[in-house]
Amino acid sequence: MALVSGPGRGGVPAGRDPAQEPYLVTEKHVNYIKSLDTRKDELEYWLTEHLRLNGVYWGLTALHLLGQPDALPREDIIKYVMSCQSENGGFGAAPRHDAHMLSTVSAVQILATVDALDELESEGHGGRIKIGKYIAGLQNRETGTFAGDEWGETDTRFLYGAFNALSLLNLMYLIDVHKAVAHVQACRNFDGGYGVDPEAESHAGQAFTCVGALAIAGHLDLVDRDRLGAWLSERQLENGGLNGRPEKLEDVCYSWWVLSSLAMIDRLHWIDGKKLSAFILRCQDYEGGGISDRPGDMVDVFHTVFGLAGLSLLGFPGLVAVDPVYCMPKHIIQRCIQKSR
Amino acid sequence: MPNHGKSREAKEIKRYRELVEAFQAQVRDGDFTPELLQKTAEILNTNPEYYTIWNHRRRIYVNEFNSIQHQYSECGLTAEHRDGQILDIIQLDLQFLLPLLMQFPKCYWIWNHRIWLLDQATSLLPAAKARPIWEEELRLAGKMLSRDNRNFHGWGYRRMIINSLESEALNGKSMAADELDYTKKMISTNLSNFSAWHNRTKLILRILDEKCADDDERKQMLDEELALIHKALCDPYDQSLWFYHQNLLCAFDPDQASETLAPRLTSAERLEYVFEELEFIKEMLDDVTDCKWIYQALIECRLLIAKIQHGMSKQDQEEVKAWLTELRKLDKLRDGRWVELGQKLGI
Ligand SMILES: [Zn+2]
Repeated sequence: MALVSGPGRGGVPAGRDPAQEPYLVTEKHVNYIKSLDTRKDELEYWLTEHLRLNGVYWGLTALHLLGQPDALPREDIIKYVMSCQSENGGFGAAPRHDAHMLSTVSAVQILATVDALDELESEGHGGRIKIGKYIAGLQNRETGTFAGDEWGETDTRFLYGAFNALSLLNLMYLIDVHKAVAHVQACRNFDGGYGVDPEAESHAGQAFTCVGALAIAGHLDLVDRDRLGAWLSERQLENGGLNGRPEKLEDVCYSWWVLSSLAMIDRLHWIDGKKLSAFILRCQDYEGGGISDRPGDMVDVFHTVFGLAGLSLLGFPGLVAVDPVYCMPKHIIQRCIQKSR
Repeated sequence: MPNHGKSREAKEIKRYRELVEAFQAQVRDGDFTPELLQKTAEILNTNPEYYTIWNHRRRIYVNEFNSIQHQYSECGLTAEHRDGQILDIIQLDLQFLLPLLMQFPKCYWIWNHRIWLLDQATSLLPAAKARPIWEEELRLAGKMLSRDNRNFHGWGYRRMIINSLESEALNGKSMAADELDYTKKMISTNLSNFSAWHNRTKLILRILDEKCADDDERKQMLDEELALIHKALCDPYDQSLWFYHQNLLCAFDPDQASETLAPRLTSAERLEYVFEELEFIKEMLDDVTDCKWIYQALIECRLLIAKIQHGMSKQDQEEVKAWLTELRKLDKLRDGRWVELGQKLGI
């Protein structure tokens, strides 16, 4: 699923009464996502190959949330995912791309979504355990942190990714959860938010990854809910959208990271959900489908899935319920993970 | 789009795909030559996000470094020559990356690759030769930050460089004091720079720990920071400033104080400080009555006092109630939060 942007832009069509209740163009979003893989005559299609597997996860999840889980052929998805696996067990973003944590997590999420994790047990793929060991091998056993790949860059995004995939595979025992949780704690700031490392300023993306990791580890007790909730709620701007840090522009993807974090700590009611829904709906391309980062910009599949996930979390009618920790349909997480959170 | 645009794009796609395919064929054959390096450069110039290509570029260099090392240990290459060759490779690549970085400042694979090169310098060269490269990089990071002073990667990158320059491997020592000056410089050009304020929080903690500061020195630092933020708060609408103010208030919160710059204040001292803050902020209301941050800070101070004193008088409760009413008028977006706070306080 290619991350080719456009061709359309988000925004309320000219001539429509802005006071009119905004609506979701479900069918158009479905068609937009289905069309993404046909755009091979665009250079951007080829230049975004390093995000192909992430793109499949984004597109597939969006379709599931739209209530169209079968819009893409299941067998083709499975075949494509399996073709991205490297010898070390990890997955690259596309065939012949090196394995990386982020694409490996996408692979696991996709297989879990289409209920095909058993495919990993088939001849030549090494089983769940091989993928689990690849991920676990990226943990620094002294600091608890995770690297994105063999080249060693660390970031709480990778730690969250490891928790996400390993919990879906039921292989959390392969890693030192305790040390990882301690590292997440060290990344917490006085404002209650989290940074990419213990010295970095709070950032909405890191609130999502750190609180998400703590949720998976069953350690939400370590979050200062009121302080973090306060910082997160201040991300909402007058136009209804949310930003990622103080004094920054609103963006649909940040709206998701802030919103899902608020949901994890039971503070969803600390922002104006109605205004946020309206903002996300204003980012739709009402003609061609797809959602952009903010009105007037080009749509893409990344902002489409996070826009839909945000609407789902806000209880917008007609969407399948999303799990705030995994950004996958709730019923699928319930199927994969027995233990109740 | 006119047709010739489409056909030009088709040509571009063809060129790019052929390049990638030729590259992949060569990689499959394990052909790690300088010619392959040239191909990685061509691909990266078009697409710097292609992380696998960066990985191969590093694999090619690892190969070359190993072969230089081998010549040194087996074939009589002098240490001077070995270092010179390694340095040349690293510096040439750092130069190759510069135009890319200017064109794609947010592509973090480029920053990543630079750090890898610099780390190679640290591990392969004597400190005296590696250190200048890192110092040069610090100047570059400074330039990038003055172009975009909230760039998230920019600040993180600067911290990484400082960490290395401070390390034993480069004969370094703490640069926290210089960095604190740097944040002040950044703040003085733009008060609203939360990244700079945040770095201050972290650096002050380090500086005090490094000089094993006693309680008086810590208090003095706290006083200076309070004075600095009071001066800055002449613009009360700037939330960056209020977040820094909130950071400082943590020193007066019995549950947070242990992690702050002044962990051992007595309850009496804490109270005295918070009352001073309360008065300072109340005075702001003389000039400005429509700024939500002022009411939020007032409520926070009152709650802090109640926490230290284990309770709130009826009169203080009335005051909080009045502020909360104002706040609800000014901050409709977060009404759910303020309603809940009112319920929690029983007002
Ligand atoms: Zn975005």
